[in-house]
Formats: sequence, structure tokens, C-alpha cells
Amino acid sequence: MSPRLRRGERPFPPDERLPEPPRPAGLVLDARLHLLDRQVVDVRGDPVAIVDDVELEERDGRVVATDLLSGPVLATRVFGGRPPRSRWHRVAWRHVTEVGVVVRLGVRGETLDVLWVERWLREHVVGRVPGGRHDPE
Amino acid sequence: MILSDLLDARVHDAAGRALGFVVDVRLVLDGPPDGVLAPPRLHGLLVSPRTGTSFLGYERTDENAPAVLARWFRRRHRGTFLVLWDDVAASGTDEGPGVVLRDGYRRWDPALPPHRGA
Repeated sequence: MSPRLRRGERPFPPDERLPEPPRPAGLVLDARLHLLDRQVVDVRGDPVAIVDDVELEERDGRVVATDLLSGPVLATRVFGGRPPRSRWHRVAWRHVTEVGVVVRLGVRGETLDVLWVERWLREHVVGRVPGGRHDPE
Repeated sequence: MILSDLLDARVHDAAGRALGFVVDVRLVLDGPPDGVLAPPRLHGLLVSPRTGTSFLGYERTDENAPAVLARWFRRRHRGTFLVLWDDVAASGTDEGPGVVLRDGYRRWDPALPPHRGA
């Protein structure tokens, strides 16, 4: 069972009505609801990665998201922990043009490090298969 | 710091009283653009007495269909509140103390502003 506070430990009445927070000027995103596990597509609509995490950094006294992270999270989600920092692939936030059902980038996927495994397989495996270097007829 | 350092972390007030868990992180795109969009600024943390199933977000939107699920998830996440990042005194990783709020922090309604379309 996922962690929770027992009923007797909860410090506030559950049906309490809370005041509305100050309304920020820009677009509001809840990270888990709107970003995590979303498909990232490049400028042509080709899938590039999945948003597995987000890198945060302090700048001028504000904490801002700088990169979308994608990496080998399957095992860590099942068994706990998180991948080492060196295994994350980063997509800089400045490439993001739209956050909706998918996260859309303004660059082509081939220019991003996140697709290096696909590029490597294309060059070293698929490219050596007879017929692997041209479109199917 | 990455987002996972915050998500599911235990939240305590300055007196050490357990308040719940970070179920989501609210970001706001309100700064100068970096590329096409502004970089998301960490605006606050959504704290709930429970952690599971919170990603569906029924407690934060006016979504009410399917009605049975909407009612069920809203009921499960009663007591969820938003606390602004300025009210966070310390945030640690899994091995640390979790998130500690400063004395005199304020709790806000966790509902998302209605104009959000994603």
C-alpha cells in the first residue's frame, strides 16, 4: 500500500475549504499531471522520448526547470531508487514549443543526444542487413 | 535537484508535525522566454495525506466524468492543499528529512486555474 497518514494523524479536517491561492500571471502546469510520462515529439511529429523526470536549478533566487530528463527508469520504478545521474538524457527546455497531450519540440530529433542508441543501431546493425540502407520497395 | 527529489517526499511543519506527502509540484511559466516558452518556475507543492492515485488530478480540476471515479478520487484526496515554494524552509532527498515548511506557512486550495487546457 502506498504511504499515507493514518486518519488519526491527519492534522486538518478533511472537508475544510481553503482560500484560493494568488493567481500567477503565466501558464500553470502540475508536473506529474501535465509533464511526466508525456511523449516528446520533434518538430516533424516523430516521437523522441518520454518525460521521465525534470531537472531543476536555482537561478536568481528562483527554482526553474532547465531540462526534461529521459532514461532507464523501468527497473527503478519497479524496485525503487533512481538511475545514476550519468544515465539521464537531457532535452533542454528551450527546445520545447508546446505542452499539451504531447510535449512538442522545435528541433529535429536527430540533433538530440537522447536518440543516440537509435542512431547507433541504425548505423551498426540495421545498416549492415541487406536492404537496410534504402526504403522498402 | 530533480523532480523526483521532491515527489512523494514527506512534509512536516516547523514543529515536526507530519502534514502529508508531496503528490505533485506546481510550475508556472511566467518569466522571460527561454526559446519559445518561459522556463517553468517552481511555484509550490501539492501536499496530500495520501500518495497513491494522485496523478489523476481529479481533486485539482473541474473534471467530473466518469462521475463515480471523479467522486471516488476527490474523496480519497480530501485534505490536499497547495503550499507555495516561499513557505518551504528545507527540502531534502529520500535519505533526508523530506520537506519542512517554515513557521507560519499558509495552505491554499489545490485547484488548478480554469484556463489550463492541456
